[in-house]
Amino acid sequence: MRALLLLPAVLLLAGCQPEPSAKPLTPEQSAALKPADARIAGLYEQACKSCHTVPDTGAPLAGDRTQWDTRWAKGEDALLNSTIRGLNGMPAGGQCFSCSPDDYKALIRFMAGRE
Amino acid sequence: MGKVTRRALLAGGGIIGVGALGAGGIAGRNWMRDREPSLPASQDAKGRLLWSNWSGSATSYPAKRAAPKSEDELLSILTRAPAPVRPVGSGHSFTALVPTDGTLLTLDGMAGLVGHDAAKQQATIRGGTRLADLGPALAAIGQEMVNLPDINKQSIAGAIATGTHGTGRGIQAMHGAIVAMRIATPTGEIIECSATQKPEVFNAARVGLGAFGVVTEVTLQNQALTRVAKRVEIRPTEEVFEDWPSLRQRHRNVEFYVLPFTGHSVTITHDVTDKPVKPRGPDSDVETLMGLKQLRDWFEYAPSLRRKFAAEELAKIPPEEVVDEGWKLLSNERPVRFNETEYHLPIEAQIPALREILSAIETHRRDVFFPIEVRVIAPDDAWLSPFYGRESGSIAVHAYYREEHDFFFSIVEPIFRRHGGRPHWGKLHSLKARDLAALYPRWKEAGEVRRALDPEGRMLNDYLKGIFLDD
Repeated sequence: MRALLLLPAVLLLAGCQPEPSAKPLTPEQSAALKPADARIAGLYEQACKSCHTVPDTGAPLAGDRTQWDTRWAKGEDALLNSTIRGLNGMPAGGQCFSCSPDDYKALIRFMAGRE
Repeated sequence: MGKVTRRALLAGGGIIGVGALGAGGIAGRNWMRDREPSLPASQDAKGRLLWSNWSGSATSYPAKRAAPKSEDELLSILTRAPAPVRPVGSGHSFTALVPTDGTLLTLDGMAGLVGHDAAKQQATIRGGTRLADLGPALAAIGQEMVNLPDINKQSIAGAIATGTHGTGRGIQAMHGAIVAMRIATPTGEIIECSATQKPEVFNAARVGLGAFGVVTEVTLQNQALTRVAKRVEIRPTEEVFEDWPSLRQRHRNVEFYVLPFTGHSVTITHDVTDKPVKPRGPDSDVETLMGLKQLRDWFEYAPSLRRKFAAEELAKIPPEEVVDEGWKLLSNERPVRFNETEYHLPIEAQIPALREILSAIETHRRDVFFPIEVRVIAPDDAWLSPFYGRESGSIAVHAYYREEHDFFFSIVEPIFRRHGGRPHWGKLHSLKARDLAALYPRWKEAGEVRRALDPEGRMLNDYLKGIFLDD
């Protein structure tokens, strides 16, 4: 069953592998990361962190390039659009109700390991 | 739902299902309804950013977004910002409580623990505190909330405003634990209230739909940290129906999920224990849920096969138990989005109504695959609480967010209403002021308090006008 569910993801990954140097993070390693900018860090703590450091949520772990590189390859605009409108398990706006588009971009860059 | 997954659930079923029913029509139907729903634009013509609730059932383009960090700042927004001013907790309500083209107000800047009383096991917290953050914060002072809902992403202010609840005989919904609270009103006041101080505000606004003002702080009656054993078990649905009165007596927290078209249900219980900690493992509910969906996709038009395969495999799954502090076990991650309707019925009407709903769904809506959640909640005295004055049995019906949920209204809600149910304020229903007035003995008094706190209706969006004014 799980193998069936993961098949599309495997196919996707085959076309766009993360950098060879990227290593998976543990949830603890992910949770220890924090955006450098204090205001963005506040938004991250309040909105994103409760899902993006918890594997059971299905959200890619913050800072884990092995989970983010395929997403990052879609381009920042596509990621921003998915963030604002929601996609799959990701609710629209990602639980941040005061975020501007630039805030979202900064949060995406941080979580994708591109800060 | 609990850790009930087994990949064996579908082993073999897929091959037979595809062989017997692999017509292009079925594949096409499955493809069509599994598409991401069409979404509103990320910005409107005026460049205003889209807001949507968690499920995508409610959207708007607020002219202003406000995130006050103090009560003074909040009062300024409530009195001067473009109306309607609508507070948002975490956007988990399915009903249109939040949409506004005026001001969207988040309390994310007003979160955290204010103080606590160790002797009384009470803690005062700011309204914007998310339940997921509250668990560890209270644990650090040796306390825990008396109960928690199924998910813990909500803010405390949003959770109490909608009558959010957990389950357990003799255990009230979350607002039942409030001993005092502070409310900022659109008239520019900060009101402190409790059962003895401004009790009419306390009674009317405790479950206030975000229409009486903004709750900035609540003092909660908590309890000492307790270790509980969570047990998840799959049983025949008919057996669970029969056992339900006894289950409610035997366990501190108990609920069950009916798995439609399978003849089986999942019971989940939590009981205080001194057993050694056995932490919960990785979530497997998603796998189970998607397994149920796959069964639906293959056997939608062959319900006897659907039931046969599901029942055979589900019956093989042994009970599972984990042990930990309650705040770590009572809530769950729900990464699969859905829409939901839930009503709270007089406890004696719960199982009869559930039987009708299950029969109606299995007769008329073979596309349904989401489990039906069944819980019990103790009575309380908040005037707009769906549990006002009566022990309640709740029934929640869900639909995958990508699929239509019209059957909530055409099939399920009439059954709820016939059995005297009151809708969960945050979950989909079609009731208006006149219907609600007949269900709530203190409806009129609550309305008077609301008008006194917000005489200009600055907090009423179109949806809330239908709830409060359409009489």
